[in-house]
Amino acid sequence: MEASAATPTSAVMHPRAAVFTVEARSIERRIGLLFAVSGLALVLLMGLLGIVMRLTQATVIGLSPGWFYRILTLHGAGMLTGVLLVMMGALWYVLHQTVPLRAGRMLAAYALIMVGALAVLVATLIGGFGAGWTFLPPLPFYPAGQWSTWSESAFFVGLLLVDAGFFVYCLDVLEQTTNRYGGLVRTLGWQFLRGREQTAPPPQAIAATVVAIDGLLSSAVATAILAGLLGRTYDRSVGIDALVAKNLVYFFGHSMANLTIYLAAGAVYVLIPRYAGRPYETTKVFVAGWAGSLVFIATAYSHHLYMDFVQPTWADVISEAASYGALIPVAVITIYSMTMLVWGSRFRWTLASLLLYVGLAGWAIGGVGAVIDSLIPINFRFHNTDWVVAHFHTYLILCVVVWCFAFLAHLLERNADRTTSRAGRAWTVSLILVGGYGLTGTWFLAGVLGVPRRYAVQPPGTSGYSLAGSIFALLLALGFLLLCLQLIPLARGAWERRHYALVERTDSWTGGHYTARVSRDGAGEPAELEALPAAGLPYASPPQLALGAALCVVGLAAFFPQVVDASEASIRFHHLDHAGHFFFGVALGLLLGSLPAVSRRLGRRPTLGLATVIAAPTVMMLLMVPRFYEPLERHPFEHALFHLAMAAFGLATGLAATRLGRVTGLLVAFLAVGMCVMFAAAMT
Amino acid sequence: MLRYGDPQIAIGIVFAVLALLIAAAFIVIGVQAGSDVSFERVHRVGYWLRKRWLALLLVLGVLVFGISLFDLPYASGSGSGRTVVKVTGGQFFWSLVPAQVPAGTKVRFDVTSVDVNHGFGLYDPHGHLIGSVQAMPGYHNELDLTLAQAGVYRIRCLELCGLNHSTMESTFTVTRP
Repeated sequence: MEASAATPTSAVMHPRAAVFTVEARSIERRIGLLFAVSGLALVLLMGLLGIVMRLTQATVIGLSPGWFYRILTLHGAGMLTGVLLVMMGALWYVLHQTVPLRAGRMLAAYALIMVGALAVLVATLIGGFGAGWTFLPPLPFYPAGQWSTWSESAFFVGLLLVDAGFFVYCLDVLEQTTNRYGGLVRTLGWQFLRGREQTAPPPQAIAATVVAIDGLLSSAVATAILAGLLGRTYDRSVGIDALVAKNLVYFFGHSMANLTIYLAAGAVYVLIPRYAGRPYETTKVFVAGWAGSLVFIATAYSHHLYMDFVQPTWADVISEAASYGALIPVAVITIYSMTMLVWGSRFRWTLASLLLYVGLAGWAIGGVGAVIDSLIPINFRFHNTDWVVAHFHTYLILCVVVWCFAFLAHLLERNADRTTSRAGRAWTVSLILVGGYGLTGTWFLAGVLGVPRRYAVQPPGTSGYSLAGSIFALLLALGFLLLCLQLIPLARGAWERRHYALVERTDSWTGGHYTARVSRDGAGEPAELEALPAAGLPYASPPQLALGAALCVVGLAAFFPQVVDASEASIRFHHLDHAGHFFFGVALGLLLGSLPAVSRRLGRRPTLGLATVIAAPTVMMLLMVPRFYEPLERHPFEHALFHLAMAAFGLATGLAATRLGRVTGLLVAFLAVGMCVMFAAAMT
Repeated sequence: MLRYGDPQIAIGIVFAVLALLIAAAFIVIGVQAGSDVSFERVHRVGYWLRKRWLALLLVLGVLVFGISLFDLPYASGSGSGRTVVKVTGGQFFWSLVPAQVPAGTKVRFDVTSVDVNHGFGLYDPHGHLIGSVQAMPGYHNELDLTLAQAGVYRIRCLELCGLNHSTMESTFTVTRP
C-alpha cells in the first residue's frame, strides 16, 4: 500500500493507520459521496417497496397481482442498481488513490446509470412492466394485458443504459490499472505469484481488475440479449431460443449481482485496515485466490439452470464445482484475512467499522445458504422456493447494503473526525441484525416448507411466515432509519470541517482575540494523478501484425458466395454470417489501427474510442432484425451493401478499440464479436 | 397445505447450525478485537490455522461434490418401462396426460410449455415439495420419478410466468394399485 501522503492522526481511525493511510483528495470524496448518496437513496426506496410486497403476501395490504409484479420487477432492478452505484463509488474511492481513474468517465457512467434507472422506473410504475428483473424471455412478450410494447422497450433501454454505465466504469478501471502496473499479467499479480517479481499491485487493484474483466464480460452478454429483445419489440417476427436466452440472462444477471459484493471486497481491503491499524498487503495466496474468483464468477451462473434438464449436464456439474469453488477464496482469503486483521488489534469500533465487521458475517452466513442451494440434488427441492430469496437477501441486506452504509459512514466519519455515540451504534446495529436475520429467517423456514418464491398470493396456510417476515422487515427499516438519523449530524460535522477551519485571530483595532471560521481552499491535498495514456497497440510486432492480417483473411470467408448462400438455411446461420462480416471489419480495424502511421493520424481519442466500441456493435445488433434486412435482400446490390455495412460497423469498432490500448482494446474487440455471435445464437 | 419436507428439514438444521457457528466465531473475534496481540503472533497462528481451514474446505468440497454426483435428478435412458406423462404449461394452466397413474408406477414427466417459462413443482399428498423441473417453450425436459404413495399430488408453478403465476396450479392423482 502506498503512503505518499500520510493522513494526520485521526480520532476515528486506528493511530497506527496513519502510517499507511493516504489522505483522500476532494475528487475522491465528491465522487464517493455522489455515488453513495444516490445509490443509498435508491436502496432505501426499493427497500420500502420490499416491505410493501411482504405486507401484501401477509395479506395486510391488498395489492393487486399486477402491481405486485411491477413492484417486484422494480425492486429487483432498482436494488441491484442502487448497490452497484454505491460499490462502484466505494471501489473508485479507494482505487483512485493509486490508480489515475478518470473522473469524467465516472460521471459519464453515473449519468448513464441514473437515466437507465429512470427508464426502468417509468417502464414499471407507469408502463406496468412486470416480467421480473431477470425478464426471462419470452415472458416480456406475453404481458397478459399488463403492459404494452413501449414499456417493454423502456425497460430494455433502461437496463442497456445501466449496463453501458457499468461497461464504461469497468473499461476505465481495466485500462488504467493495466497501464499503471504494466499489463494484465502484472496487474493481476501473476508475475509475483510465479516468483518473477518481488512486489505486486495492492489488493484493491487486483480485486478491481478482476471485477472489471468479469464486469465487461457480463456487460457484453447483457448487451447481446437486451439488443435482441429490443429488436423483438419492433419486429415481432424475431423468435427467441428460450434456453440460449436463459443462459445469457443468467450469465449477466448472476454476474452483475455477484460483482456488487466483489466490488465491495476491494473497498473493504482498504477500509478495515484503517480501523485495525494493520495494513493488508498482497500475498501469493491472495493472488491465487483472486485468479480463482476471476474464473468462478464467470462459470457459476449455470446453477440457475439446474432444473432446465436440457442444459448439458457437464455445464451443471462445472457450475456446481464453480459455485463451491467461489466459496474458497471468499472464506479463506477475504473473510478469514479480515478477521485476522481485526483479532487483537485494539480495533477502533466506530459506526463504519462496526457495519464493516457485521457485513463480513452476513457474507459468510448468506454464502453458506447459497452454497447449500448450489448442490444439484438439494436444488431439486429448493429451486425457486423462498430458500433462494433467503440466502441472497442475507448477503445482500446483511452484507452489501450494510457495507453501502459503512462506506458512507466512513466518508462522513473521516471528514467529521468523529463517530456516533456508543448507545446509538448498539441500538442501530441490534435492530438491523434482529430485523435482518429475522426477515431472512422466515424466508429460510418458508423455503424448507417449499413455499414458491415470487408469489403475489401465498399458498394457503403460509401467510403467517410473511406476517412474521413483515414485522422483522419493519424492525430492519427502523434500524436503517436510526442509522440515517445518526449519519445526518456526521454529515453536518463533515461539511463544517471540510469547508471551514476554526482559527484564532487578533482584532487589529481592539487587540482582542477571537475565533473565526475561515474557508478551506483544499490546500495540503495529495496532488491529482494524471490519467495515463492508452498503453500499446493491439498488434505491436511484425508477427502480431501478420496474425492480424491472417484474421482478416479468415473473416473474408463470410463474404464468399457459398457461405452467403449456406447462411440462408436458417435465421440463426444468417445472423451468424452477419457476425462474420462484423468480425472481418473488427479484424481489419485492429490491423489498420495498429499500423504506426495510421495510429498517428488517428490520434489518441480515448473518449471517442470508448463511445464507438459501445455504440457501433449495439447499433449493428439493433439493425439485425428481418424487418430491416429482408427488403434489402431482394436486390443483390443492396444485399451486398447491407453486408458491407455490417463490416463497416466492425471496422469502426476495431479502429476504436485500438485507441483503448493493448489489453483493453483486444478484450473489447473480442467481446464485440462475441456479442454478435451470442445474438445470432439466441435470436431465431 | 404445505408441510416441511424431510430432507429439507435436515438441510435447514445443518444450515442453522453452521450459521450459529459462524455467528459465534464472529462474536468471539469481535470480543478479542479489543485486546492487544502482536501482529507477528496473529500472522503466525493465523496462517497456520488458515492452511487447515483451506484443507478442511477442500476435503469437504470434494466429499460433497462427489456425493452429489450420485444423486443427480436428470432423466437418463430411453424411458422404456416408464409411463410417460405429457405435461404442458401455459399462461396460466397445467395440462397432464394422463392425469392419473397407479401407485408404484415409474413415471417419466415430459415437460414443456406453449408460451413462456414455467416451473413444474410437484408436491406429494402431504404437501412436501418432492422435486421440480422447468417447462420451457421449444424444449422438453424429462423428469423420472416413482410415485409410491397414493393420493392427490399438487402441481404449482415455480417460475415467474406473469400475472396469475401464484394461482397456476393443478393436480395429479396416484391411485391405489
